[in-house]
Formats: sequence, structure tokens, C-alpha cells
Amino acid sequence: MKRALTIALLATLLGILLFGLTDLFPPAEVRPWAEMARAYGAGNGVASIVLGSRLYDTLLEVLVFALAMVGVRYTLKPLGKWREPVVPERGVVREMADVLLPVIIVFAVYLAASGHLGPGGGFPAGAIAGSGLLLLAMAKGIERLSRELHEGTLEPLEYGTIAVLLVLGCLSIPLNHRGSGLLVVFNLLIGIEVTIGAWVVLHYFASHRGEI
Amino acid sequence: MAAQIGTVLGIGLVFLGFGALLLRRSLIWKLLGLNVASGGAIVFLVALSHRPGAVPPLSGYPEGTPSADPLPQALVLTAIVIHFATLALSLAYAISLTERFHTQETGRIEAASEEEMER
Repeated sequence: MKRALTIALLATLLGILLFGLTDLFPPAEVRPWAEMARAYGAGNGVASIVLGSRLYDTLLEVLVFALAMVGVRYTLKPLGKWREPVVPERGVVREMADVLLPVIIVFAVYLAASGHLGPGGGFPAGAIAGSGLLLLAMAKGIERLSRELHEGTLEPLEYGTIAVLLVLGCLSIPLNHRGSGLLVVFNLLIGIEVTIGAWVVLHYFASHRGEI
Repeated sequence: MAAQIGTVLGIGLVFLGFGALLLRRSLIWKLLGLNVASGGAIVFLVALSHRPGAVPPLSGYPEGTPSADPLPQALVLTAIVIHFATLALSLAYAISLTERFHTQETGRIEAASEEEMER
């Protein structure tokens, strides 16, 4: 039964694959987006969709992201703390982190601040800053870093960012306020949110593993 | 041509991922399969936005040049982040299940939880 279902599903996917190779469905015409991008104060078509005409989508998506991070936090918190150092310290990584970390942080801020004009935006910026935190954790040891980044300050910052983002977004849609300043603020807030989420994942997966 | 290669690659990855999701027994393998399948969906959507001879959807190119479709790219941008968050959450649940039942095989986890329900 299970095997037959598997084969049926895979055969359906193969059928879709063969179907996609034919030219039965020509690609849809690209709607002119330059006008809309200008109306929202953006130079980037993707940014004008994500932060402009589909802002509701993005707001709810950030909310889903934050809820998933809350879920990770409260699922892994009851598990025991890992006592041994997770990542052994290495001199090469520590030296390289000194060189690379400023560049990574500056690049992340640049991407968040200029995401409405060129390629970039809050989500990639947050991912880059999160990888910077991963590098720092590998260089300094995750225990030391988590003692310096207090959970007690990060949690209110995360929820505060979400609250500000939701309030700003929900006000800007009915008031019909547009402009590139708003997009920069949105991108920076989303960047902060994603960075904190990446840190939550990194910290909880490294330190709370339970005991098998 | 590039769009067709992307379409084939994307559906192939979805195919592979669903295969692992259905045939593997370990929870971690299943989640990895789901991860690969959603990566394939992302590749497929990016391939959909491609047009022959198109420039990226940024202003600054001369008027009238054909540009790639920004809508699938915007969908992908949010899909990647949601994908990361839900994968992290499901891995956290997998850790918690392993901690409780001391196995990652779905069959054994089901048997153990049924036993617990009867007790």
C-alpha cells in the first residue's frame, strides 16, 4: 500500500516534469513594474512587491518567523544543557574573525539600508549578520558569547521589533503612506529580527541538546 | 534554455526530496528530504521568472529592455526565510522526540507512543 502510494506520487511528479518540458504553457507576460516601484519609492522591483504591494504578506511572514523562533526556544529550553564546549577553539578562526567580522557587519547594514535600491534587503542582511554571529561563536566559544548576549535583553528586543514592524505596517497601509524612508526602516527592522532569530537557532541548537 | 534547465532541476530536486521523505525511516532523513524538496520548489520558481535576454528587475537599465519577472522572486525571498524557520522548529521537535523515545525511527516512535497511550 505504502509502496504503491509512493510510486504513484513519484510517477505524478515525473508526469509534471515531462509536462513542464513541453511548450504548452508559455511563460506569463511580465507586468510593467517600473511605474509601481517608483510609486513606492523603490528602485528594485522585488522590494517594491515585498515591502509595497504585498506588505501584508511580508508582515505575516515575519510573524510566522518569530513564532517559529518562540517555538524553538520553548521546545529546547526544558532539555538539559550541554556541558562540554561544543566547538573547539582554533587560533586560525579567531584571527580570521577579527579581520572578517567588521566587514560582515558593515556589509549586512549596507544591504539592509540599500535594499530598496539594488539587490539586497532585510532578509539577506539578517542572514549575513547571523552568519557573522556564527563565525564569532566559533571564534570565541558559544558559551562566552551567550553570556555576553543576554537572553533577557534579546527577547524584549525581538518582540519589540516585531511590534514596531506590525504597527508601522498596519498604519502605513490604511494611511497610504509611501516613500523610500519607510522601506529603509522596514528593511532594518526585518534585518534585526532575522539576525536575532538566527542567533536563537544557533544558541539553542548548540547548547540545549538533551542527553541520549 | 536556461529556464528549461532550471525547471527540470527544480522538479528533479522535488522528486528526490519526496523520495527520501517517503522511503527513509529516520526522522532526520525525512526532514532533510523535505528540505531538498523545498529547495527544488525554490529553484523552480526562480526558473519561472527567467526570460530570454532579460535584465534583473532593477531600475537603471534603459527603458524597454525586457526584465525578469519580479513576482516569483518576491515569493521566493519570503519562502526561503519561512523554510529556514520551519526547518529549525521541526528539528527542535525531532530533538525533543529523540530525547523522549531514544530513537529516530518513525515506526518505533509510533509504537512507543501508542504503548504510552495504552498505559
